[in-house]
Amino acid sequence: MRLLVVEDNVELSQQLRTALIESGFAVDTAADGEEGLHLGMTEPYDAVVLDLGLPRLDGLSVLRRWRASDRAMPVILLTARDSWSEKVEGLNAGADDYLAKPFIMAELIARLNALIRRSNGVARPELDFGEIRLDTAARAVTRQGQMVRLTALEYSMLAYLALNAGRPVSKTELTEHLYAQDFDRDSNTLEVIAGRLRRKLGDGLIETVRGQGYRMTPPR
Amino acid sequence: MNVIRELAAPAYPTIRVRGSLTRRLALLAALWVAAGLGVTGWFVVRLTEEQIEIAADARMTSLMDAVVAAAALDPVRGPILVRAVSEPEFDRPLSGHYWQMSAQGGLVATSRSLWDQRLPAPRPDAEPRNEDILGPRYEPLRLLERKVQLEARFGTPRFQTVTVQVAVTRVPTDVEIGRLQKGLVLAFLGLGTGLVAVVALLVVWSLAPLRRAQEELVEVRAGTRQHVDLTVPSEIAPLVREIEALIEQNRATVDRARTHVGNLAHALKTPIAVLRNALEREELPAARAQAAMLERLVQHHLRRARAGALAGAAGSEASPMAAAQSLATALRRLFSARGIAITVLGRDSARSRADPQDLTEMLGNLMENGCKWAVSKVEARVLPGATGMIRIEVEDDGPGLAEGQDAAALARGVRLDEAAPGSGLGLAIVADLAGLYGGTLTLNRGARMGGLRAVLELPGRF
Repeated sequence: MRLLVVEDNVELSQQLRTALIESGFAVDTAADGEEGLHLGMTEPYDAVVLDLGLPRLDGLSVLRRWRASDRAMPVILLTARDSWSEKVEGLNAGADDYLAKPFIMAELIARLNALIRRSNGVARPELDFGEIRLDTAARAVTRQGQMVRLTALEYSMLAYLALNAGRPVSKTELTEHLYAQDFDRDSNTLEVIAGRLRRKLGDGLIETVRGQGYRMTPPR
Repeated sequence: MNVIRELAAPAYPTIRVRGSLTRRLALLAALWVAAGLGVTGWFVVRLTEEQIEIAADARMTSLMDAVVAAAALDPVRGPILVRAVSEPEFDRPLSGHYWQMSAQGGLVATSRSLWDQRLPAPRPDAEPRNEDILGPRYEPLRLLERKVQLEARFGTPRFQTVTVQVAVTRVPTDVEIGRLQKGLVLAFLGLGTGLVAVVALLVVWSLAPLRRAQEELVEVRAGTRQHVDLTVPSEIAPLVREIEALIEQNRATVDRARTHVGNLAHALKTPIAVLRNALEREELPAARAQAAMLERLVQHHLRRARAGALAGAAGSEASPMAAAQSLATALRRLFSARGIAITVLGRDSARSRADPQDLTEMLGNLMENGCKWAVSKVEARVLPGATGMIRIEVEDDGPGLAEGQDAAALARGVRLDEAAPGSGLGLAIVADLAGLYGGTLTLNRGARMGGLRAVLELPGRF
């Protein structure tokens, strides 16, 4: 899952980046409103963490412009002020959630997972693919009740395919959602990852659609 | 030097200075005095001038009558005076008093005063003349001319038309008029200057209380004085009273802030002590709990501080319906995953006497709390309350409160948070805020939906 973090405080931005990468997200960062606006307009993010107090262009304006341009990715607002007046303003400008500083990183990650799941039309955190079960909240995968160890990239690919189950996902789309902007992208690695996932979870889970990419059957 | 001078006057950009009352009033007075006195003076001068002219004309007419009465017609010599006219000036050469009689055939008789000079020849028309001319010595003269029929004692024609002219110098009249004008102008100028000076004095004297008030305010600001203590005229009294009230309010705010900071400092001490101990014994979970507690404390006091600062500012009104509806929109988004139906009912005209942000804060906490516990729906209702109050109910279909739990839910701030993290703080803040505005928050079991019903009563109108 690829995230955009728009935060001007360098330290907090770094902390967020580290924590989010540790949780398996691909993370792009922007340090001011204009850069954030541009990235959000041009890159396909699965979710955005947006600070409200930003230099050059404030967070609410960034959000409003995204929404005015039909950029519908889930956005979670971060701010030091947490009065209801401001929450209402943020949510009614098109934010999906709101987190007041100081916050606990685990809480942010949990909310991000929930937002991404919801934006893909999946209500429950657990996805059931028969003998394979995927818990998006805990980022855990089990096969016949047994925990399967996955790398961050393997999990991200599985989760993206699972959340988009039922339709073929192209390698380009996968690349865009699994890697940060500055990452050296190589679609061959996707085949390697897909191969490893099949080895760990069984051949039937991920099918290759010739010329179109990968597809998973919708969960039960 | 006294403190007043040392303290720089604060320059506030919203206070713009334009013009001066003293200058404005003095200018207006000067304009009015100049115009009024000018017009009056002109009339007075004109009137006296006319009087002097009338007197001079009357004297000339009587001189003319005397000359005509003494005139006779000699068939050979033409017009003559048969009797002396009782005006000695007619006999003194070039005295400025002259007469001249002209008959047909160029026969002319003149007063001795004319010597070898002549007055201007009479006009052929019969109109009696009364005009200003220049005399033999180029002095200004007033000339009166009349045509009379004189009868000769014998010879023909018996009757002849004779033109009688009398001329009198204007010099004494003009001098008199000039002296009078000068006197009047001087008198009016003096009067005008005096009036303007009095107005200026009046302004300075009237504004003196303002200056005294300002001096005292400077002292209040410098801290050498506690109150404005003045006897002031009734026009200024309301202003001074307002300022005094402002000072008082300011002082109260500062006192409240001081108390608040004290409270906060004391409230922070305990968790800090516990935190330090926990850190010394390297008990991470305990330390984490204390950090969370510190955070909540800071949050709680921040909100209270904001509310406290606003509660003093009277006069603001907020629409509960507008606040509830925009909150509902925001909360639907926030709780979209659980699909909770949020309904807002009530009358749009309802107003609560509270700051809009504070009202949103209260309603936001109540409605969010409702959404957290609700199974499927939350309802916010704006209803009329007791006299001068409005009643806002927020009800959910969740589990509600057990008996006796409401007191705990409303217990102030931190104590409750320790018991039930995450649930109580919001409601405690609502109760705090409501109290600041003279309202109340009560919790009970909703009759309609069976969950928690929070009832917020606030001053306002329905």
